[in-house]
Amino acid sequence: MSETLVADRSRHGRLRRPSGEPPPLPRQFNKVAIAWLAAFVGWAIVWAWVFLSDDPAIWITERDLELMGPIVDNRAGWLTPSMKAINEIGTHWATPIVGWLALVGALLSKHVRHAVLLIVSLAIIAGVVTIVTTQIDRPRPLGVTQIGDWEGFAQPSRPVALLTGALVAAGLTLVPSVPWRRYWYRATTVLIAVFGFAQLYTGVDHPTDVFAGATVGVAVPLVLYRVLAPEMVFPITYGGGSTAHLDVTGPRGDAIRRAMADQLGVQVADVTPVGLEGSAGSTPLRIVDVAGEVLFAKLYASSHLRSDRSYKLGRTLLYGRLEDEQRYSSVRRLIQHEDYMLYVLRAAGIDCQEPCGIVEITPDREYLLVTEFLEGAVEISEAEVTEEIIDEGLELVRKLWRAGLAHRDIKPANVMVQGDRLRIIDVAFAQVRPSPWRQAVDLANMMLVLALRSSPELVYERALRLFTADDIAEAFAASRGVTLPSQLRSDVRHDGRQLLERFRELSPERAPVAIQRWSLRRIGLTVWVGLIVAFLIAIFVDNLSDIGLL
Amino acid sequence: MGAASAVLLVAAACSVELATPPPGCAGGSGLIAAQSVPTAEQIPCFEDLPEGWSFATVNVNQNGTVVRLDSDRAGTTAATLRFEENCDLGAAVAVPSNVDEVERFDFIERLEPSFRAQTYYVFDGGCVTLEFDFDRGASATESVALDDIVAFVSRQDLNESIRESFIDEEL
Repeated sequence: MSETLVADRSRHGRLRRPSGEPPPLPRQFNKVAIAWLAAFVGWAIVWAWVFLSDDPAIWITERDLELMGPIVDNRAGWLTPSMKAINEIGTHWATPIVGWLALVGALLSKHVRHAVLLIVSLAIIAGVVTIVTTQIDRPRPLGVTQIGDWEGFAQPSRPVALLTGALVAAGLTLVPSVPWRRYWYRATTVLIAVFGFAQLYTGVDHPTDVFAGATVGVAVPLVLYRVLAPEMVFPITYGGGSTAHLDVTGPRGDAIRRAMADQLGVQVADVTPVGLEGSAGSTPLRIVDVAGEVLFAKLYASSHLRSDRSYKLGRTLLYGRLEDEQRYSSVRRLIQHEDYMLYVLRAAGIDCQEPCGIVEITPDREYLLVTEFLEGAVEISEAEVTEEIIDEGLELVRKLWRAGLAHRDIKPANVMVQGDRLRIIDVAFAQVRPSPWRQAVDLANMMLVLALRSSPELVYERALRLFTADDIAEAFAASRGVTLPSQLRSDVRHDGRQLLERFRELSPERAPVAIQRWSLRRIGLTVWVGLIVAFLIAIFVDNLSDIGLL
Repeated sequence: MGAASAVLLVAAACSVELATPPPGCAGGSGLIAAQSVPTAEQIPCFEDLPEGWSFATVNVNQNGTVVRLDSDRAGTTAATLRFEENCDLGAAVAVPSNVDEVERFDFIERLEPSFRAQTYYVFDGGCVTLEFDFDRGASATESVALDDIVAFVSRQDLNESIRESFIDEEL
């Protein structure tokens, strides 16, 4: 689909969103989370009232004792051992078990953000409970014989709050939202109801202690996860899929359709994820319009921006500032860069996708970069690599060098063969005026990609037509495992022909180019990150007991 | 997100220090300390701490109350007060007590190289052990100042206070 076609269609779409009208996918705060937040605020008002005056405390305590009186006055011999056991398990064992299982599960399934939120949730719950208990100073139920385990003041119930928090956070951390999380919440409700009853039966908590504890335990993780790890952006998925890939059904799918129609004038008939295995930094989509024409789009969200930041921070710490490791300040900037690079590369004669426009889904948080769809194109690892294709790949690098550009992510998934044309995709990492080292690495990576489906000798021979032997020697002197995109590294390893070594043998001898770059900034950043991590670990370990994990 | 989480974590973690206040003679955790040993007729409480002493941890639960104190001269956890239903007096000897309903027993385990001693307060239904374990070189006289700030309030007085100012119930 050409720019002209999209531009023509745009005339039939809306030129701009009227002021005050919501964007296609407005940022929504979950209604359930708002309800629990309101309940939490309600309790905060009660606590403040009780703190300021004895009268509400007396009234609430009298009602509490009236409510629990029939329970503690009619303890049954057959039920008491079970209730004591539930009280003991819920007070001492359940939270550490649930908390650690969720934490380990989150780390194993690479949901690091959720793992951090789980710890922060429990820490905030513990902090809130401590602040309130020490201000309210509520004793255990008066006139009642306590037959269970307890610790400290009663309001709100610390074990109920921490266990509820651990269960809710575990659900938000490990359980996919549809359909399982609903069942998890039901099970949590039953467990907390049973535990709460045991607390009343054993006389260690008042009913309001249990309710307040449960409210804190639900509200804190629910609000925290909704704000910092919303399901729409950070979904819990399993089965080998990348966590970077977003669900494009439901509200987001509808928003994409609306936004494409309004902003590009494209009436979308179908949106499906495509080529997910080769993409970790965005959600690639195949979009079909009502006329049957196909477009390609990359969906970028704030989760991708954060992944990009973490990736760049990691590389800066490990290798120094080898490349352009500046962070993007917003998703808008990230997508603007890729869109701009498509134009720059095409102007330099490089055969990459034709851009059709940027579509706003949620302002500053979610955008689509729409381009032509490479119909019939296959990844180079699935194509026949002829001498012509090899020449095209090498010519592409030559053009990059000539234009002062680097692609920086040359790997089989980004080198497509469409008929007899070699086309390069995914220019998100591309850079203007890169370092000579970075340009050399582009050449080495392209030669490795081409050699995977042919032979290093042939690729080397063809490369000498465009590059000097010294250029090639420099490229492979600058290359090692870390300079290869992970897919290319994996393919080279599985190939078994020692391609890197073979290219080094073919080219003139040259000392390896050092890839470590030391600077005061890198040293300072390393020390700073190390201190923060050590400090957080120390606080975490020191407070394991307080946050219910010990 | 990283910075925000760190701030939240630090703020939350800092707030969980000393989750329960010590049983003070003018407030604090006296009521739950009484509930921690329901048989005890006397409940220990702390007057204002002498200079250089501070509360390290306070644990009040169904098994009793344990208060650990730090001293800038006698060291970390230089003194520990345990309020329980029973205690083993061992070789402690009776000494005069300041409180009528409370008997006192002292045992000095050693003076050198570091002071280690126990004071027991025994009363109907309960016992308080004040254990000193000083750092090497710390003077044993540091324990005297602490002796004076452990006081007792009777369960009967606490119950009357609850009835008068709160609700018609007992501990």
